[in-house]
Amino acid sequence: MLVNEERLNLPLRLRVLQWSFAVAFLVLATAFWYFQIARHQQFLEMAENNHQRALPLAAPRGVLFDRGGTVLVENRFAFNISIVREQTNDLERTAHAVAQLTGASVEAILEALDRNKRLPAYRPIVVLRDATEAQIASVAAHRLELPGVIVEKVPTRRYPTNSMAAHLIGYVGEVTDAQLARPEYKDVQGGAIVGQAGVEQTYNPLLMGADGARHVIVNSRGREIDVLGEEDPIEGRRLQLTIDGDVQRAAEEAFRHYGFRGAAIALAPSSGEVLALSSLPAYDPNAFAAGIGREEWNGLLTDPLRPLNNRAIQGRYSPGSTFKIAVAVAGLEEGVVTPETRVFCSGGATFYGRYFKCHKAGGHGSVAMREALEKSCNVYFYTLGNMLGVDRIHKWATALGLGEMSGVDLPHETRGIMPSTAWKKQRTGEKWYAGETISVSIGQGQVSVTPISLAVMMASVANGGTRIVPHMVRAIDNGKGWEQLPPPEGQKDLGLSHVDVVREGLWMVVNGAGTGGRGRIVGYDVGGKTGTAQVISNQGKARARGDRDLRDHGWFVFFAPAKNPTIAGVVFAEHAEHGYFAAPIAKYMMETWFAKQEGRPLPTLPPLPGTPVPPGVPLPAEVVAAQHRAPSTPVTPTPGGVEP
Amino acid sequence: MFEQRLYKHLDWSLLGAVLLLCAFGLVMIYSTTYDPIRGHVGREFYTQLSAVGIGLVALTVMLLIDYRTLSEYAPVFYGGVAVLLTYVLFFGVVAGGSRRWISLVVFNLQPSEFAKAALALLLATWFGQDKLSALRRGDLAVAGGVLLLPFLLVARQPDLGSAVTLLPVAGGIAYAAGLRLRLIGYALLVFVLLTPVAWVYGLKDYQRSRVVTFLDPSQDARGAGYQQIQARITVGSGGLTGKGFLNGTQGQYKFLPVAHNDFVYSVLAEEHGFIGVLATLGLYLFVLLRSLEAARLARDRIGAYLVVGLISCFAFQVIYNIAMSAGLAPVKGLTLPLMSYGGSSMIATLTSFGCILNVRMRRFAN
Repeated sequence: MLVNEERLNLPLRLRVLQWSFAVAFLVLATAFWYFQIARHQQFLEMAENNHQRALPLAAPRGVLFDRGGTVLVENRFAFNISIVREQTNDLERTAHAVAQLTGASVEAILEALDRNKRLPAYRPIVVLRDATEAQIASVAAHRLELPGVIVEKVPTRRYPTNSMAAHLIGYVGEVTDAQLARPEYKDVQGGAIVGQAGVEQTYNPLLMGADGARHVIVNSRGREIDVLGEEDPIEGRRLQLTIDGDVQRAAEEAFRHYGFRGAAIALAPSSGEVLALSSLPAYDPNAFAAGIGREEWNGLLTDPLRPLNNRAIQGRYSPGSTFKIAVAVAGLEEGVVTPETRVFCSGGATFYGRYFKCHKAGGHGSVAMREALEKSCNVYFYTLGNMLGVDRIHKWATALGLGEMSGVDLPHETRGIMPSTAWKKQRTGEKWYAGETISVSIGQGQVSVTPISLAVMMASVANGGTRIVPHMVRAIDNGKGWEQLPPPEGQKDLGLSHVDVVREGLWMVVNGAGTGGRGRIVGYDVGGKTGTAQVISNQGKARARGDRDLRDHGWFVFFAPAKNPTIAGVVFAEHAEHGYFAAPIAKYMMETWFAKQEGRPLPTLPPLPGTPVPPGVPLPAEVVAAQHRAPSTPVTPTPGGVEP
Repeated sequence: MFEQRLYKHLDWSLLGAVLLLCAFGLVMIYSTTYDPIRGHVGREFYTQLSAVGIGLVALTVMLLIDYRTLSEYAPVFYGGVAVLLTYVLFFGVVAGGSRRWISLVVFNLQPSEFAKAALALLLATWFGQDKLSALRRGDLAVAGGVLLLPFLLVARQPDLGSAVTLLPVAGGIAYAAGLRLRLIGYALLVFVLLTPVAWVYGLKDYQRSRVVTFLDPSQDARGAGYQQIQARITVGSGGLTGKGFLNGTQGQYKFLPVAHNDFVYSVLAEEHGFIGVLATLGLYLFVLLRSLEAARLARDRIGAYLVVGLISCFAFQVIYNIAMSAGLAPVKGLTLPLMSYGGSSMIATLTSFGCILNVRMRRFAN
């Protein structure tokens, strides 16, 4: 028998439990009384005078490499001058003294102190980032009169290539209050340096690493009286980007050489790896690394050329004739035309009671798909667009990525507009008129695209019909070695069955009688398509002669080699008049890429034949012809207009 | 189902004390997660607030069902918890090197918290059977097995702290059921004899270091011993009236790494002083004594044992955590029920009090 012999006395046992709880609580209360009342003074002094503190040791951010292992971003040590408030006798006076010794503005110093006033008083507040040797020396010389002013050595970003690839790399800066309020920054301390654009921002959590700490014991005046030890900071993860530094440089050199602003993107069509992504004009991220001055920042913000704006993923422009690629895919896949279907172009055609011109005055004669692409025949595409209707164009253009986010791993991407009946209904409440489709079918009217979405379209056609997702990072150093990243999710096979016809037409654009002749590279089969984004209407053209800022923008989308493309992309040249002048930039990028692939010396840029587009220089006939495009004024339906 | 009469017999004072403790806990979580730099409170506060809400719903549901109905399904609850504990070992969310949570997207469920109530219910049902007017060896073996399964599963996570809290459930019920003290003494003896074995084979390095630290805090001023010293400074510096809400330097300066969690009581002692300590100690003691009153009034032994099992576990955690927060016990990851941050713990604890109120409410035979 395991139970007591006497009858089980449950009430008694419960009573015993109650008493034992009461005794336990009495013991606890006594202990608290002993600590809080009897020895209170001692512990209070310990709490006030014997603080153990963890002073942060900043971690260097992860280094960025290009695909060949060249360093794109690294770190250097900078010296910051900081103030520890609890060690100063008179904060106001200290701020003024530091300003006087260093030549910094008192306002900036007081502003920094104010911005971080919620930090514990023992935490140093940076009042001057990246001090010069002279500034450090003068502060050090007055160390004794300035208790609480310290010089901290901190790892700081260094961008050895300056403004190259600035928009894709991004820049860093002090974390903002708005960011601190967001959950993804919950582990970030106030005053920390975080990525504020580009890859620096997208991959900030990986790049930041972990700050270390110095554990010290300080007395009531904040003086260190003992060091308990240090935890070393952990450097941020190193990333290998998909970028090829030489192709990137080639794009930016060519833009400057030909005197254009704009954007260029090159992708690996099989994987969606971004080989180059540039936007000009750019800025120098080194200016931000150690804290950018207010004036310099305002200068960047108010610059009319908008250097902070990443045109490659934020600029929205009319795609012009490059859009014909999407219409061609739609027509062939929907089966409304075959590759051999011929359309007769007499220099224009009438739709819904209105005459739409082709750019070739006498017309192209009878053309089928390949030739229509080669000659960029408007009438062929008007006809095809009219047969398709806007919704089927929308379906395929969207499938190819137009009017959508590309999903590239960069912050602040925008999307263009790919109109459809539903879109117009939602936006204006009106129905879509068939006449509007005519302008859309040659990339005019309401259609707008970002350069990166055109690059996605081109790469997806070039690789035979797989919609790719552009991405920037190839591999991450996980501490044990380089870990290759799988391609991002969202790649999908569009199941195109006639994509070869389109690719052949695009090969003819460059190697036949088309407008892409300046993209030709001897020994390589380049395919491409030019396009023009109107800046002002044709009517205004006459008045705008000679004013560069009113000229049309030029597009050139490209891929090469035609059989198994290893590079595809887009060049957008602002105010270049025509895509014809954007093609050489693409050509230089491709030549650089192939030279690297085959281990040949890198190419050089050809000498300029004078200014890029001097007024009065005769242009090639097809370019002149291309300037007489269909009007882009909104189409008003005529009575009796046939609605499909 | 829920008669007027039952409503009348609800122990409002016990429920009130429990809710007051929850409120105290919320105030402390507000204080320990308040971020002076960002000027707002941490998400933990809102998580806890919703956990209290869900817990009260669970408590109400427990009231609606007669506890004897619950006891009929005891094996089902127990089995369910065992399945969850097994599942968590393989597919749980890993945090801090152990798998304790099941991800429910919104929050992570910690099945070990619910193991306590399921175990109490099954053991109370087993010992409360009418045929068991006297215990036999076999019955004891069954009870031991019933305890061992969840104990081992939780210890494997590894979460020794939660595993140990299952012991008072079994111990309390066994004691109330009249087990000879001599036998409980034997069990303790075995435990003591097994300690060296466990020391070498069963503990991880960090667990060993905690025990060593407790015996000599100065050995390791930066690790666990550091926490103990800091806990004492935190408590001691509070004095009689405390430093005031949000004014604790120790908690605010984050000297205590898990202030909103394991050391919530230290911060309470710092900010609200000995007065705050006495108030909360009094509330906790009231809850314990009042619950045991419910066991005394219960109309059958199942009810009595159920209350004893649940309250023993609760008392063990409260006493241990408060002792730890004053640096009187080795630092273990044991939270303070009703006050520490933790959704699963809050919901499970309120569910337990639902059972206790249930037993008292239905103390009159129909």
